[in-house]
Amino acid sequence: MAKVLARRLSIAAALVLAVVTAAFLLVEALPGGPGALPEDPRVPPAQAERLRAAWGLDRPLGERYVRFLLSALGGDWGPSLAQHRPAAEVIAGALPWTLLLSGTALLIELAGGLALGLAAARRPGGAFDRASSVGTLALRAVPGFWLALLLLSAFALRWPLAPAGGVSTPGLDGGPFARLADLAAHLALPALAIGLPAAAGAARFVRAALLEIAGEPFLAAARARGLTPRRVLFGHALRAATAPLVQLLGFSLGGVLSGSLAVEVVFAWPGMGRVVFDALAARDYPVLVAGAALSAVAVIAASALAELAHAALDPRVRDA
Amino acid sequence: MALRPGRFVATLGAALLAAGCGDAGSGPEPAREAAPAVATVGTTVDLAGVNELVSGGVRFTNEILDQLFLSLLAEQPDWAEHPPTLAPSLAESRELAADGRQLVFHLRADARWSDGAPVTAEDVRFTWRAQRAPEIAWAYAQSKEAIEDVEVVDARTVRFRFRHAYPYQVVDANDGRILPEHAWSALPFESWRRSEPWFRERLVTSGPFRLAAWDPGQEIVLEPNPESSGTTRPGLDRVVFRVVPDAAALVERLLAGEIDFLDGLTPRDAARVEASPRLRLAVSDARQFDYIAWNLRRAPFDDPEIRLALTLGIDRQALVDALWQGYARVAAGPVPAGVWARDPELAPWPYDPQRAREILARRGFRDADGDGLLERDGKPLAFELTTNSANRLRVEAAVLIRDQLRRIGVTVQPRLIEMNALGEVMRSGGFEALLGGWAIDTTLDFRPYFHSASIGDEGWNTIAYRNPEVDRLLDEVRAEPDLASARPRLVRVQRILHAEQPYTFLWEPRRLAAVARDLEGVEVSHLSAFGTLARWSRRSARD
Repeated sequence: MAKVLARRLSIAAALVLAVVTAAFLLVEALPGGPGALPEDPRVPPAQAERLRAAWGLDRPLGERYVRFLLSALGGDWGPSLAQHRPAAEVIAGALPWTLLLSGTALLIELAGGLALGLAAARRPGGAFDRASSVGTLALRAVPGFWLALLLLSAFALRWPLAPAGGVSTPGLDGGPFARLADLAAHLALPALAIGLPAAAGAARFVRAALLEIAGEPFLAAARARGLTPRRVLFGHALRAATAPLVQLLGFSLGGVLSGSLAVEVVFAWPGMGRVVFDALAARDYPVLVAGAALSAVAVIAASALAELAHAALDPRVRDA
Repeated sequence: MALRPGRFVATLGAALLAAGCGDAGSGPEPAREAAPAVATVGTTVDLAGVNELVSGGVRFTNEILDQLFLSLLAEQPDWAEHPPTLAPSLAESRELAADGRQLVFHLRADARWSDGAPVTAEDVRFTWRAQRAPEIAWAYAQSKEAIEDVEVVDARTVRFRFRHAYPYQVVDANDGRILPEHAWSALPFESWRRSEPWFRERLVTSGPFRLAAWDPGQEIVLEPNPESSGTTRPGLDRVVFRVVPDAAALVERLLAGEIDFLDGLTPRDAARVEASPRLRLAVSDARQFDYIAWNLRRAPFDDPEIRLALTLGIDRQALVDALWQGYARVAAGPVPAGVWARDPELAPWPYDPQRAREILARRGFRDADGDGLLERDGKPLAFELTTNSANRLRVEAAVLIRDQLRRIGVTVQPRLIEMNALGEVMRSGGFEALLGGWAIDTTLDFRPYFHSASIGDEGWNTIAYRNPEVDRLLDEVRAEPDLASARPRLVRVQRILHAEQPYTFLWEPRRLAAVARDLEGVEVSHLSAFGTLARWSRRSARD
């Protein structure tokens, strides 16, 4: 077991190193290279070169890479070229917000997907199934930024049920519970903008999985043992159908730390999507590479978790 | 092992609490008991930082920093008849020595930082040292190159020593806001570019406002600086700048009444603002012109006649009407209309496709194969028009220009490039024609664009334009005792550029802002959207 774990960890470390190296080289290869330089007639290109020197970008690529890697190993990803503070601090500032938003959206995906998929699969071809099929298809087809703008216009501006953006109400006076409620209100629309299309996809997945296993022998055996249809559905069929959904969620979980740019931009949510996008625009390589490394770790960890969960949920996999 | 929902929810709840109680979740101070006069300003970009030497350069940041830090003098938006006035600010007076190489500023006795410390000559010297420090590499350090030394004569007197006299010595000496020596000198210059939070923690301001709160990516809150030495005490108790990165969402929030002021509207949004009973549209000149730069290193753009034909083939009034809906003027040269140095007799070249065809025919371009497109020596008259892919207006302009030039037989292929990559393309001269825009500054120094010495690393003459007379005139402008006396030479430069068309000058855009009708004292100018922020007030708060 320890051997397997060590092997897996070394593969994971190699993958993270490969991602970091690729991200570092990618920024280098972009036209203009690392560090956005001002385009202003009052700033001659020669002065821009002095700025590059101040950032240490005048050193040879190999030297910069080795230095960067060594300091990153020590937890120092270097200073952000655009925000003039440690890149790790920039990432650490955005990470809780992304975790919160993506985590809530993931819950909506899981709960909404299961509930809708289950309801649709109970009477395939029935009125609810047909309506749900159209609805989920429409939600999947809508571009993310458009849905975000639609939710904003409808539920924040026309019928102001939730705040239009940000993470807190300016000048809010109240205790921790008032602040928590305020945060939840700010969270609602962006989480729905991400969670609803994902839930629509999950619902179609659950429905298909339930219909696929409807004729499986283990369900017939459960029925033969005299279990009620409800217990057969919830105790056996749903559990088996949920297993592939967990794997699907594993992929979603891997992307959780990347944030959702369109939704974050529309709702002014200070998460990783915006941080990485701004860093790309500014060619801010310390932030970009730190963000890429974090995403790589998340994807690797999420895949491992999904595999374990899948095995735990589905006896066919566990016993194979 | 099963994934246990209970544990998952508990973890999420902890994250909720952690995020809710973290820094970014904390709002500004609680509202006062009496309803404060507040204005909410929308912005798509955040404040880049509080230290302009490392974070300056972005227009929004500069305009906010103007409210926090004063310069020695304050440029006024009065440049229609003469070079802009530089009014007293931290300095109450100045005098230039007879040899023209020493400039003395006398600081105001009541100039104070927000912690009560006086603004002194030491602050001025400290600022100059930081501005020219190679470790900091301030983007505008070039403006200090002719300054040999800055001497502290006494606490309220400071002397700038110049290497030589030139017309905008005062402008160069005044460039940059004065920084607090007593608060910021403890950090070595080599650490400045990685220590933005350090400056924020030790922020003291000399301007009419202080930074009451800043939630990065969320909002910036300014409150009156109680120690401000200005004669005008701000009429608002608080100005909240709300950061909404998506321009469409920001406009929706403006129209829904959440935002009181929004600068940088597109012409399409301007029409919606005009239809709103709550808002009015503020229109001012922008100190900018947009252009097509022809790369003179490449044939046929090395021929001024061809360049003129291409200008005549572009219906710029139609572009202004279609893209700007009247909120721009057709440009005639690099000095926009309404600026003191503009040649009053200069009129934009007309749209004249017939004359364009005649010129091209004289230069040997014929439609030999009858396909409607011109060729010379078997080669079509075709080029790529490069522009910034993120600028929707310029992208649309490139497409319209392609259609217009096709009518005179010229093939244009728009080439859209991301902003940073475009900068690299410009610096390397890797383009045939480039659709861009320049903002001009107080000095009207056109050497960076059109002087032959600015080809290469020392300027932005990316098209390799060379004209000895223009070089001489631009050098002479720099040698004039004052900028106003340089006017005849600047007029001559405009006429040469008009005749030779190294650029096709397209339009001079106007600056569009939405203002809530009950917000008074708002005056948007080419210098700033917030130049009169200290005079803003709410009619509803006063009533």
